[in-house]
Amino acid sequence: MSPIPVLPLVINGFMSVLGCLATLKLIPAFKDHFISARLYGMDLNKTTKKEVPESQGVISGTVFLIILFCFIPVPFVTCFVGDQCMGFPHDEFVQLIGALLAICCMIFLGFADDVLNLRWRHKLLLPTMASLPLLMVYFTNFGNTVIVVPKPFRSLLGLHLDLGILYYVYMGMLAVFCTNAINILAGINGIESGQALFISGSIIIFNLLELSGDFHDDHVFSLYFMMPFFFTTLALFYHNWYPSSVFVGDTFCYFAGMTFAVVGILGHFSKTMLLFFIPQVVNFVYSLPQLFHIIPCPRHRLPRLWGMAAAWLV
Amino acid sequence: MSPIPVLPLVINGFMSVLGCLATLKLIPAFKDHFISARLYGMDLNKTTKKEVPESQGVISGTVFLIILFCFIPVPFVTCFVGDQCMGFPHDEFVQLIGALLAICCMIFLGFADDVLNLRWRHKLLLPTMASLPLLMVYFTNFGNTVIVVPKPFRSLLGLHLDLGILYYVYMGMLAVFCTNAINILAGINGIESGQALFISGSIIIFNLLELSGDFHDDHVFSLYFMMPFFFTTLALFYHNWYPSSVFVGDTFCYFAGMTFAVVGILGHFSKTMLLFFIPQVVNFVYSLPQLFHIIPCPRHRLPRLNPETGKLGMSYSKFKIRDLSKLGHLILKVVELLKLLEVRRGHDGDGDFIECNNMTLINLVLKFFGPIHERNLTVIMLIIQVMGSAVAFGIRYHLVRLFYDI
Repeated sequence: MSPIPVLPLVINGFMSVLGCLATLKLIPAFKDHFISARLYGMDLNKTTKKEVPESQGVISGTVFLIILFCFIPVPFVTCFVGDQCMGFPHDEFVQLIGALLAICCMIFLGFADDVLNLRWRHKLLLPTMASLPLLMVYFTNFGNTVIVVPKPFRSLLGLHLDLGILYYVYMGMLAVFCTNAINILAGINGIESGQALFISGSIIIFNLLELSGDFHDDHVFSLYFMMPFFFTTLALFYHNWYPSSVFVGDTFCYFAGMTFAVVGILGHFSKTMLLFFIPQVVNFVYSLPQLFHIIPCPRHRLPRLWGMAAAWLV
Repeated sequence: MSPIPVLPLVINGFMSVLGCLATLKLIPAFKDHFISARLYGMDLNKTTKKEVPESQGVISGTVFLIILFCFIPVPFVTCFVGDQCMGFPHDEFVQLIGALLAICCMIFLGFADDVLNLRWRHKLLLPTMASLPLLMVYFTNFGNTVIVVPKPFRSLLGLHLDLGILYYVYMGMLAVFCTNAINILAGINGIESGQALFISGSIIIFNLLELSGDFHDDHVFSLYFMMPFFFTTLALFYHNWYPSSVFVGDTFCYFAGMTFAVVGILGHFSKTMLLFFIPQVVNFVYSLPQLFHIIPCPRHRLPRLNPETGKLGMSYSKFKIRDLSKLGHLILKVVELLKLLEVRRGHDGDGDFIECNNMTLINLVLKFFGPIHERNLTVIMLIIQVMGSAVAFGIRYHLVRLFYDI
């Protein structure tokens, strides 16, 4: 069993904090570019008609990508300096690059959605397309589609069950679900960035607890992504908190959802990750009648601001 | 030596053709989305003020990415079905994924540039950031920074020279150069997509010729990217050709430049690839005085339409004599003497002024041929591109013996 790579984790943490500071500065710096590009919204729950820059997830996402691009060789540096590894760990390297490809593609498609205002069916297509590299990497790296059956079902299905292609369908759906689940729990200042911040914080705590376990490699891998995500999102949360001076955009929801799906799939803890999504799942289930238009669904479902007099009456 | 993987190449070709058809259909389908997003431009060389959708490179780029995402497992399928390979070729797999990461990131940043109108210094920063994964993959996969010194320099430097970190600087600069070189040879309908189409076509021919050589693995890798690029760009070219119903945007120039840099670097034929860039290099060198603002550079340097004749003529840069530095005067004199610059001197209400043609290859062609209709001008530029490729092949396969032992 390989030891926990402390130095790469520390370097990653340090780079993540730098990324937080960079995002803090970059968001106000690009405000005018977004307003000129007409990427702004009006805060529907405020009485002022101020233009609030949208799609700021593209900034935190880009800083996230740069952090990780620069970080790529760090976990493997010991293999060059002093030849301290037994053969280059190609499959770990492929995982890292493949995960970045899926996340980068998702940020790109998410930004394209924000700019071009694509239709709802595209909100299901885009995460599926972006998760393709993830599925391909999984196929070539592990290819394992056998699951351990939960105890209540073992009399029916046996101890192990080979899901075959259904496993890949599950992985593809995971990305679609995570992105859209965050997207629909929205509408009040700071909720999108805030929920993602707390989910990633929970995953980080889970990863740290599991570092002393049998699968710590998977959790180290997850931390490499969750730490930059946590700190760049923290900076975004600072600007997005009430009263929001920026909005995160669908870009952020796509980015967050895909990053969670990536660590859950390649870290082999997707069921635990979904447990951190309990509020999102509850919201999703409660929303189902309107999502399927069985009960009519208006364009916006966010809470409505009442005037002062009405607030007193209510 | 491993055999040439014919089936993956055929599958890639087939998927590329499908991608061409998809791009052909998707470009008109998303027209309204782009116009609503205010991603459109006015054709400065037409008299009508029609809104032309911009940044269509994002569509051909996305189709390119989808083709290659679906293609990822194909070269490695023989390793699963029948175990016909000796150990999984992880380094080839990493190359493929790393290359896609660089290209995907570049399309993303290029699109962000088109939408947010980032500044010129960003046009140098963005390709550098997008090439980072490429450099990292190169570092971990090969790490080779030793070059073979060309024959004329061997007495000075020896047979081999370890460039060390300079090799990585070169690779980073290659991406920056390719993206911007395509971006500045622009301004007439069809030129950006057309030049990229012909460069990729030349690279494909080069790759096919080298399939029978010692390094065919590198050229197979290049074909995996060049075929989808060629066919998606073909569809874009169809819509971008005169009269343009769509514009490609900086997105396309970034996408094209990065894809070329990727295949050149990971295929280990970057010098040959640069030979296919001869017209772009000539345009770049000729543009240098204006790019560095030694000679004043206007916002647009594209040729100017004469509404009466319907033909394009040279565009000019007008500035006061006293605003020109000594170096600027010198350059002006030298280039004018070489008959490569038309200079008019005059006097108006503001004082003495100089007017010279904007220093682009397109303007140079107009200087020699006189005013030309836009479509014919693009045809001439593309013929120059083909001639440049012919010269490139001549250098690569004949003159090369003057520099290297083949």
